[in-house]
Amino acid sequence: MTEKILMKGNEAIAEAGIRVGCRYFFGYPITPQNELPAYMSRRLPEVQGTFLQAESEVAAINMVYGAAGAGGRVMTSSSSPGISLKQEGISYLAGSELPCVIVNITRGGPGLGGIQPAQSDYFQATRGGGHGDYYTPVLAPQSVQEAVDLTMDAFDIADKYRNPVLVLGDGMIGQMMEPVEFKKEITPDQLPEKKWATNGAAGRKPNIINSLRLQPEKLEELNLKLQEKYMAMKKAEVRYETDNIEDAEYILVAFGTTARIVKSAADMAREVGMKVGIIRPITLFPFPEDVIAKASEKARFILTVEMSLGQMVEDVRLSAKGRCPVYFQGRTGGVVPKPGEILDNLKRLAGGGK
Amino acid sequence: MATLKEMSRKEEILTGGHRLCAGCGASIVARQVLSATQNPVVVALATGCLEVSTTIYPHTAWRSSYIHNAFENVAATLSGVETAFRALKKRGKLEGDFDFIAFGGDGGTYDIGLQSLSGAMERGHDLLYVCYDNGAYMNTGIQRSSATPSGADTTTSPAGRVIPGKRENRKELTDIIAAHNIPYVAQAAPSNWKDMTRKAQKALESDGSTFLNTLAVCPRGWRTAEEKGIEITKLAVDTCFWPLFEVENGKWKLNYKPKEKLPLVEWLKVQGRFKHLFQKGNEEMLEKMQEYVDQRWQKILRLCGEE
Repeated sequence: MTEKILMKGNEAIAEAGIRVGCRYFFGYPITPQNELPAYMSRRLPEVQGTFLQAESEVAAINMVYGAAGAGGRVMTSSSSPGISLKQEGISYLAGSELPCVIVNITRGGPGLGGIQPAQSDYFQATRGGGHGDYYTPVLAPQSVQEAVDLTMDAFDIADKYRNPVLVLGDGMIGQMMEPVEFKKEITPDQLPEKKWATNGAAGRKPNIINSLRLQPEKLEELNLKLQEKYMAMKKAEVRYETDNIEDAEYILVAFGTTARIVKSAADMAREVGMKVGIIRPITLFPFPEDVIAKASEKARFILTVEMSLGQMVEDVRLSAKGRCPVYFQGRTGGVVPKPGEILDNLKRLAGGGK
Repeated sequence: MATLKEMSRKEEILTGGHRLCAGCGASIVARQVLSATQNPVVVALATGCLEVSTTIYPHTAWRSSYIHNAFENVAATLSGVETAFRALKKRGKLEGDFDFIAFGGDGGTYDIGLQSLSGAMERGHDLLYVCYDNGAYMNTGIQRSSATPSGADTTTSPAGRVIPGKRENRKELTDIIAAHNIPYVAQAAPSNWKDMTRKAQKALESDGSTFLNTLAVCPRGWRTAEEKGIEITKLAVDTCFWPLFEVENGKWKLNYKPKEKLPLVEWLKVQGRFKHLFQKGNEEMLEKMQEYVDQRWQKILRLCGEE
């Protein structure tokens, strides 16, 4: 079980879901995540699971609603334009407190955009995405192995809080191949019972799953309850990784694919004597505010690098609270930043470069 | 009705140099339909092979006006264009007639685009919707659609030791659109080009919404030889997998009756996507598929008063 195998990101995410008891997958074609549903269509019947291809992303996310309500571990995946179509359903899932895992193998936008990797869905992912006052935890892997581990954890977080959880990859994570190991093997019968599920009311009071509250006070009550959950997530679920921040004068902040590129840039900077550290948010919601706040106290500046024109940088600025300058560097539309570009910018901002 | 000679002299609206695969049926369908136009053309495309491959920005293979929006809404998008055109014409700001033509693949038409298509047909916008049905989501890598024939191997209905490809029957979209009681609905195939161009012309000359469902070979998805596309399409017609008929103002009419109705396997055996059906143990599947085609053919004959 701890044997390492070479897998494509999309397929590894699918297998990770199966290894933690996901038996229901509802998909719809869109590049660059097609290998994920294709893998599920082959694999799920082997484990007595169900793969369904819906007639649209809207249908797929509502199938997720149905299966999640019945108490199953459920997953869907898509890429940016398809995730936009799923937003209504995600809002309903959040309002009805239904756990599920939604994978976004992000591509460049807006509109039809392109099919190359991007991180421009950060706002959509971290601010709820659909209508209403809600959030979903967002996990952002930087490697295929981490995509596997975070997908497994995503199901646990979803069940723990009865909330949809997003795994935010990008075209790079989905398409590349890396060695992975699957550290867990859980079958559905080993999972704790979901007492709230609408899976047959014989011998007990009927359960109700619903997001409709016509009475304002009742709806406010629901919202306050949801807020409590989000506060609890902020306390317990923040994840990040730091690299060389102890003595750092300059802090780079990046997530997912970009964090790998930033790592190369930071190594190059250290070689020329610049004290550069990295903070890599792994959860984008809840956001690792504290570590950034602390770093901002002694850093000369923070540089946020993204494959967008500046989205996470807003959260970095909110965390730094003006204690040090927060700069932004990004490429977009499917263009991936190069380590050299980041190094040049670092030097320029530090005043010692060309 | 233009002759073949006249049509061959007409300037192509979809020009060469696009990036569709060799042997792609979608471009043949589009060019046959467009050869029947007599007015300036406004083309709208749903997301799909035809759209992605003919409009790689900043290049375009289209000589006409052209609009693309998302995957699920080409009929809605063209409804908007046609409505604006009518409004401008009414106010005297535009003159003449235009041919509004939407093209969508089976994914964008049978599945995700069905709602907006139905809406446009019900409202009766003066446009022609052409579906090029190649039986799967070919643009994203051959995923099953509700147009995929049962038994086909696709990446999301994979044929394995236990499951012999897609298990569900295909949806008969032409019948669904006919139920909208629009002036003209027809099913055509590029192997029968004269029938296709006649139908396109008839559709364009009708007032209101019209719909053409066409069979478009996909060498990649069907796993067929690129140069055999039209022959294979002809087999679909002669096995009655793809009957050629039209529904004009509610009246069904059969346009082609094969002299000898060929067994369905003649069409299946030339396609790699059905290869597994010819392995031992899948005989029943072949029988079921033949049965489905026979029932469908009988129904078409009955509706067309051919019995």
